[in-house]
Amino acid sequence: MIPEGELPMKAQKGQVKVITGNGAAAYAAMLCRPDVVTSYPITPMSEVAEQLSAFHADGILDAEMVEVEGENSAMNVVAAASITGGRAFTATSSWGLAFMYDAVQQASGFRAPVVMAIANRETPGILAVSGGQQDIISTRDTGWIQIIVEDCQEIFDTIIMAFRLAEDYNIQLPVMVNYDGFYLSYLAQAVEIAAREDVDRFLAPLKQQPQRPTLVPGEPLGCGTHGIEIGFVELRYKHCMAMERVTTKLDEIDKEFGEFFGRSYGGQIEEYRTGDAEIMVIASGGAAGTARTVVDAKRNEGIKVGLIKLRLFRPFPRKRLIEALRGKKAIGVIDRSVCFGWNCGPTYMELRALSPEFGVVPMLSYIDGMANLDITVPHIERVIDETYAAACGKPYQEVTWIPLEE
Amino acid sequence: MAQQEKKKSRIFDYFSEKEEQYAGGLAWCAGCTLELTARFVPKVLGKDIVLVGCPSCSAPVFYGQNTGSWHRLSYFSCLMTGVASSATGISRYFRRIGKDVTIVCFTGDGCAADVGFQPLSGAAERNEHIIYICYDNEGYMNTGYQRSSTTPLGASTSTTPAGITSKGKPTPAKNMPLIMALHGAAYVATATPSHLEDFAKKLLIAKKKKDEGFVYIHVFAPCNMGWRIESNASIQVCRMAVRTNYFPLWEFENGKFRLTQETASPRPVQELTKLMRKFAHLKEADIDKLQQVVNERYAFIKALCAIGN
Repeated sequence: MIPEGELPMKAQKGQVKVITGNGAAAYAAMLCRPDVVTSYPITPMSEVAEQLSAFHADGILDAEMVEVEGENSAMNVVAAASITGGRAFTATSSWGLAFMYDAVQQASGFRAPVVMAIANRETPGILAVSGGQQDIISTRDTGWIQIIVEDCQEIFDTIIMAFRLAEDYNIQLPVMVNYDGFYLSYLAQAVEIAAREDVDRFLAPLKQQPQRPTLVPGEPLGCGTHGIEIGFVELRYKHCMAMERVTTKLDEIDKEFGEFFGRSYGGQIEEYRTGDAEIMVIASGGAAGTARTVVDAKRNEGIKVGLIKLRLFRPFPRKRLIEALRGKKAIGVIDRSVCFGWNCGPTYMELRALSPEFGVVPMLSYIDGMANLDITVPHIERVIDETYAAACGKPYQEVTWIPLEE
Repeated sequence: MAQQEKKKSRIFDYFSEKEEQYAGGLAWCAGCTLELTARFVPKVLGKDIVLVGCPSCSAPVFYGQNTGSWHRLSYFSCLMTGVASSATGISRYFRRIGKDVTIVCFTGDGCAADVGFQPLSGAAERNEHIIYICYDNEGYMNTGYQRSSTTPLGASTSTTPAGITSKGKPTPAKNMPLIMALHGAAYVATATPSHLEDFAKKLLIAKKKKDEGFVYIHVFAPCNMGWRIESNASIQVCRMAVRTNYFPLWEFENGKFRLTQETASPRPVQELTKLMRKFAHLKEADIDKLQQVVNERYAFIKALCAIGN
């Protein structure tokens, strides 16, 4: 917590700039004063690398910039720099993330508190220079914290919060901050850029923590031991327990951020008109913005629908989802990726695992927005209408690939 | 007393760290030259180094198990794909906070020449302040003697076995030290445990040169198990590799190549190949082909040494 007397009650009003999602990511990363930054270009996040390099070239970003020869090195450099004691940032997308897969697992296993921005994009095989969330879904079991955001301001704010979360002494885990590639990465919006000293103040509590273990030359202190039998299990368990602490910690950080900067996002999930809702729609990223509008319209038609914007995907916000979904009559889930072998959306699959706790009700999986296809107002109207019909006891289709049924 | 000092080999003069950095009773395989290299490097470079390594023959000792460790050195273990890149991260952070630390990558040839080559090449091109030591045992020895790209022509390995139709590996070794020199590294050298003074001098130059940028040292390190050499013959093999010009000792500094050990009358390569069984299946004509590779490579390095001298 921020000690009393050190912080003014509110941050000063920041400068408002019209910048892209990528620009917002770069601005936020720069203001967090990273020690080591790596970049390797990939569509649609290249602008993050370019912008950070430009900040560095102008002396605005005082950091070691490493222009690596591939994403695998991008991750290894930041993870090692982090274990050596530094604050580290990188960004990637799609098969860039796939190419660093071994290093991604190593970073979390080493408990390296790295922050990585990801402009989400479809993964290889069917070559797609287009958005989708399949890239993060393929890394959901790598032991990283995964947060999905909705707009450019939220990208900016969440990257700052991500450092507070990653480097928290009781967490010490890497964080992926995900935003829709193409849609958000290239979308220009008005973003309030927090003042440098205010970002410093917000991150200051990290300096008052005990020193985390780092590499010390000449000391018999290493990183990356052979975990043998119970030693391995113990470290895995500790990693899992740290993940468990993330949920409430993110809520706390989000609340504190809100009190200081005047913007907050609900922490693990954002609930929109859920209190008296009979049916629920669940979406993440930019689609949540469209869904909010449609929820308002459907409310005017008399359908009691609420929206959950899923922000935290790993760890999965089980407790808050169960509380928010308990007693609802039907749930429609929109995913921008697929769960191979289950033929449904990944968020849907995960929510199904919680259904015994919030009530076994009709649940409908919608796969939409793949390969840059729009998740439109009519699409979400359809989701709400069908979910409502299912709640009224009408037959329903469990999984719908919206683009194939239009 | 004075007599005792006189008997001392000059090699001890190069040691900045007299104390043993490894737990007592610790050993790799009998006769292992990687072990000699691993023990030698911190003696010359000092113990205030950070070693970076990966799964390999050195890993069982360097990694430790759970909270146990068999050495007193600072060590960062990573995957084979991440050695030079992890060392970059470590080096960059120490440089940022103004701490002069010698970062030493210590890997086998499988990492350096194969799966970890891309980050190694990248780090050399970026001229990172790192010393990269590759102990070349000409294959993946820890996983059971499979071929790597530094396995020589004709060598029988578990993935290029000599057979009724096969004569072992069909292609010559990747010339790693030369490739690294052509990156324009600050310093590149070859070394082997039979020529320890030469090795020590090069390590001391490396320690200075890393302030200028990337340093690569390629160590010829026979594997008794994989090459099928008697455990008391490792050093003999190293020496013969130099005397046959199979592994010439040279350095690359300030853009210039220099042989550090000239061989007046080189022995035929057969004198090397006969010391191990990995070449036992080769006929005279096959040995001739290997001899040709040795001759061509030696002529090439000689020609490079002639440039600008």
